[in-house]
Amino acid sequence: MNAQTQAPTTSRPPAATGAPRMTEALVSAITAETGIATFRTKSPRRIEGTVQADALHSFAAALRSRVGFEHLSAISCVDWIAEGEFELVYHFWSYRDSHLVSARVRIPREPGSMATITDLWLPASFFERDIHEFYGVVFQGNTDLERYILSDWKGPPPMRKDFSSRDFAHEHFTFKDYEPTWDELIDGGYHGQKRQGEGSDE
Amino acid sequence: MAEKELTQRTAWDKVLANLRKRSLWMLHYCTGCGAVELPPTMTSRFDMERFGIMPMVTPRQADILLITGYLSVKTLKRVILIYEQMVAPKYVVGFGSCTINGGMYWNSYTTIKALDRYLPVEMYLAGCMPRPEAIISGFNSLIDKIGKGEANSWKDYYENYEFYKKNQDHVFGDIETHHDVPADGRYFGILEAKR
Repeated sequence: MNAQTQAPTTSRPPAATGAPRMTEALVSAITAETGIATFRTKSPRRIEGTVQADALHSFAAALRSRVGFEHLSAISCVDWIAEGEFELVYHFWSYRDSHLVSARVRIPREPGSMATITDLWLPASFFERDIHEFYGVVFQGNTDLERYILSDWKGPPPMRKDFSSRDFAHEHFTFKDYEPTWDELIDGGYHGQKRQGEGSDE
Repeated sequence: MAEKELTQRTAWDKVLANLRKRSLWMLHYCTGCGAVELPPTMTSRFDMERFGIMPMVTPRQADILLITGYLSVKTLKRVILIYEQMVAPKYVVGFGSCTINGGMYWNSYTTIKALDRYLPVEMYLAGCMPRPEAIISGFNSLIDKIGKGEANSWKDYYENYEFYKKNQDHVFGDIETHHDVPADGRYFGILEAKR
């Protein structure tokens, strides 16, 4: 097995070691090494930018090996239902520089489909399973997209904006009728007054 | 078996109930925030063991299953597995508003609303969350019920197993607990008595 097929790699890239760099130096390094010029300083030690969906895999690989962001911190998802898009946010962390890079990717909501990055970071599978189960995004190339937290779930992906948790709960579960009488002991009580008011109407 | 023996409490039943009510071992399934009220209830401030109630670590030796708070569908499956392992007589106590009607999770898509649709609940402790005084008061009334031989809701799980199974299947699809509930009911003489 040679080094190219042995993925994901566990050795640290050379760019991940050395003296910490300043934020401006990192922004220019990201632009130079990955060829994507949208990244800007968002706040101290945070860099943010947008990446096209088909360019994300090569961007992440270059960010890891040539800039030194070796840790995938999280993948999160936002449902922009009015625009018909999902926004995936990939967070990369550099131990060398203590900086976080957030790469925003917009994909169409139907069909929500994205290339996996589990060949670069195996733990990305955890986030991709999570997003698949809560948003219904399919990660092409990820072979393990089974149910994780919602193991017995049969409804639609519940974190989508068009899913109404309240309606689902009322359709799916049965509530008890609740007619409290204990509050009549305390100066008539709200429900007690309501019952008396109903009686006087008759 | 004679009809009289099954319907009337024999003297031995009364002795047994009086012994049983003084030694209740409790498995507290701490899923929700209500569990924080249990340490003061158990320890020296309120000292639950005055009443013979003691925490127990295994379901097989426990008498009380205390559900302290909300249950998600995934957790409910584990609770049902635990409940079926317990040896009868067993008492499920729903603790806090969440077990009664969902509590503050009433519009959540993944928590169950009424615990007594899935397990036979002997008693509810209302409150969000009940204070140790309320817990001890509730357990005292449970002790009285057991002493009078009125705490029989566990038999309902065998008698109306179709009802509970139907509700369990409704949230899980099809649940396989690897436990022969009707055989248990026949062992305790409950299903035989119905025939």
